[in-house]
Amino acid sequence: MTEVRLNRLTKIYSGGKPAVDSITLDIPSGQFVSLLGPSGCGKTTTLKMLAGFEDVTSGEIAFDGEDVGRVPAEDRDIGMVFQNYALFPHMTVQQNLAFGLEMRKVSKAEIKRRVQATLEMVQLDHLADRYPAQLSGGQQQRVAIGRALTIEPRILLLDEPLANLDAKLREEMRVFIRDLQKRVGITTVYVTHDQAEAMTMSDLVVVMFDGHIAQAGAPREIYETPKTAKVAGFVGQVNLIEAPMDPATPGHAATPFGPVPVTAPGVGETVTLALRPEAIDIAPAGVPGTPATIERVQYSGAIVDYTLRFADGTAMEVKTIPRHPFATGDAVSLSVDLARFRQLEREY
Amino acid sequence: MGRNVLNIYCLAVYTFLLAPIFVVVGASFNAGEFLTFPPQGLSLRWYFTFFENEVFLRAIGTSLWIAAVATFFSVIIGTMAAIHYVNFAGRYKEAVRVAALSPLLLPEILTAIALLFFLYDIGIGTTTMFGLLVGHVLMTLPFVFMNVSASLEAYDTDWSMAARSLGARPFTRFRRIMLPLIKPGMIGGALFSFVISFDIFTISLLLKSIGTATLPIQLFDYLKTNYTPEAAAVSTLSIVATITVVVIVEKVIGLKMHKF
Repeated sequence: MTEVRLNRLTKIYSGGKPAVDSITLDIPSGQFVSLLGPSGCGKTTTLKMLAGFEDVTSGEIAFDGEDVGRVPAEDRDIGMVFQNYALFPHMTVQQNLAFGLEMRKVSKAEIKRRVQATLEMVQLDHLADRYPAQLSGGQQQRVAIGRALTIEPRILLLDEPLANLDAKLREEMRVFIRDLQKRVGITTVYVTHDQAEAMTMSDLVVVMFDGHIAQAGAPREIYETPKTAKVAGFVGQVNLIEAPMDPATPGHAATPFGPVPVTAPGVGETVTLALRPEAIDIAPAGVPGTPATIERVQYSGAIVDYTLRFADGTAMEVKTIPRHPFATGDAVSLSVDLARFRQLEREY
Repeated sequence: MGRNVLNIYCLAVYTFLLAPIFVVVGASFNAGEFLTFPPQGLSLRWYFTFFENEVFLRAIGTSLWIAAVATFFSVIIGTMAAIHYVNFAGRYKEAVRVAALSPLLLPEILTAIALLFFLYDIGIGTTTMFGLLVGHVLMTLPFVFMNVSASLEAYDTDWSMAARSLGARPFTRFRRIMLPLIKPGMIGGALFSFVISFDIFTISLLLKSIGTATLPIQLFDYLKTNYTPEAAAVSTLSIVATITVVVIVEKVIGLKMHKF
């Protein structure tokens, strides 16, 4: 079990702006951490520095307090799972799993025992003598995870491991990886641009933009109390409301649903509020609430998405279970628990 | 209809191109004194003549020896060049490729003359087989380079990275991962190299030392003064030898490479 600490970790490729810009992050032992962000945000570069495939420009990577930033990848004791699996095509499943142990000069009998244990762990004992090309994508993925784990590494790194699988298999593998990680109890860093993967699998989600950590926290914390509009938007749909201060109630911003308490900026300025589409209740006109008109209906079975427009012209998204058969043009009445509003930090 | 015309056309072209080879093979079984086709009676007499002809036997020995040694060095140098070209050449990639393939692009006679001058200028000359070997390595290098580069282009660098994360040091990564995966390209290159070397004429003509005629040179010398079916017998045997090499390599090593 390894505790990982990144301290002002920076990567600058020759002559460019930093790919990773002074990030600091503590990963408690045994946690599953996702680095989430769009491509080019520095998440993969961070992972490569953790693995030792990229040199650290400045800053520190510490495993249990010991700086490993200059330790070459082959000595760092990390398990790495690649997006395209990177299984050795000329070796059988068994030989792939044994490779790391052979490098460690483990005895033949011990290798046999540990490979067998791994095969059982990833449920592939019946395919031990197959070559990677004879396996399905999901099976190859499990071999790749098994191969990374047989060496009993200090940390496990996964680089978009589910990107090449189809949707159904992807969901299965999410559960498989998460269960396995919990069982083994290994500190895990998972890189993805898929917010659903990050939210469902992680103990800690680290949202990255432009080489910076925008916000790090539990999935629920990231979703419910996003710090910025970018974070709010990346982890789900969101209504952003640019609200002026309410002259009648000091310390409150004026919204279509009434005054919302905010940390007041200067006089005459506005605040940005976030409101998740599922926080809004929609009822037929006549029920007390804020009147609006339905502009678009997107029905998808369990959920229906409405685009609504207020009398002042502003639009809002609402996501709800399909309780009423509203149609485009219907007048409706909206209500919301004012505590669901989040005041966002300004981004400069 | 159009397809049939095309098929017949292809068949005609191939027949035209390959017929001379069958004529040579047929002529080698001639019982008569002259190189004629169809053969005047069937006999193996010219094969027996050949096996008693020490000059030809020595030439074949020389050719096989040079082909083997040249291939050995070609495979080593060509593989290293290909690895550099694919992984490390960076913005000089195109220049490296043109340089490696230049023996193919330049007329062989030009390369031969240049090498001849060069070898005498640096004092090595053609008294030993060294110059001849250099020429053969040079001419066969592009074939190894092309074959190995092709298999390296299909090589996923993540394989090396995966091996690295599992604790493999650079030489182990090369030996256990890259080498087995580019081996098909190296074997293909070696086969080409061997067959090409066996066939090189101009370079051998200019760079051979006294008494080290390769088979094509010896055959040429022979045909200048003789016109017996023995030449056809020698040609047939060298065709058979070439095919045998290809088949043996395919059987011994080739089967392994199709396993994945």
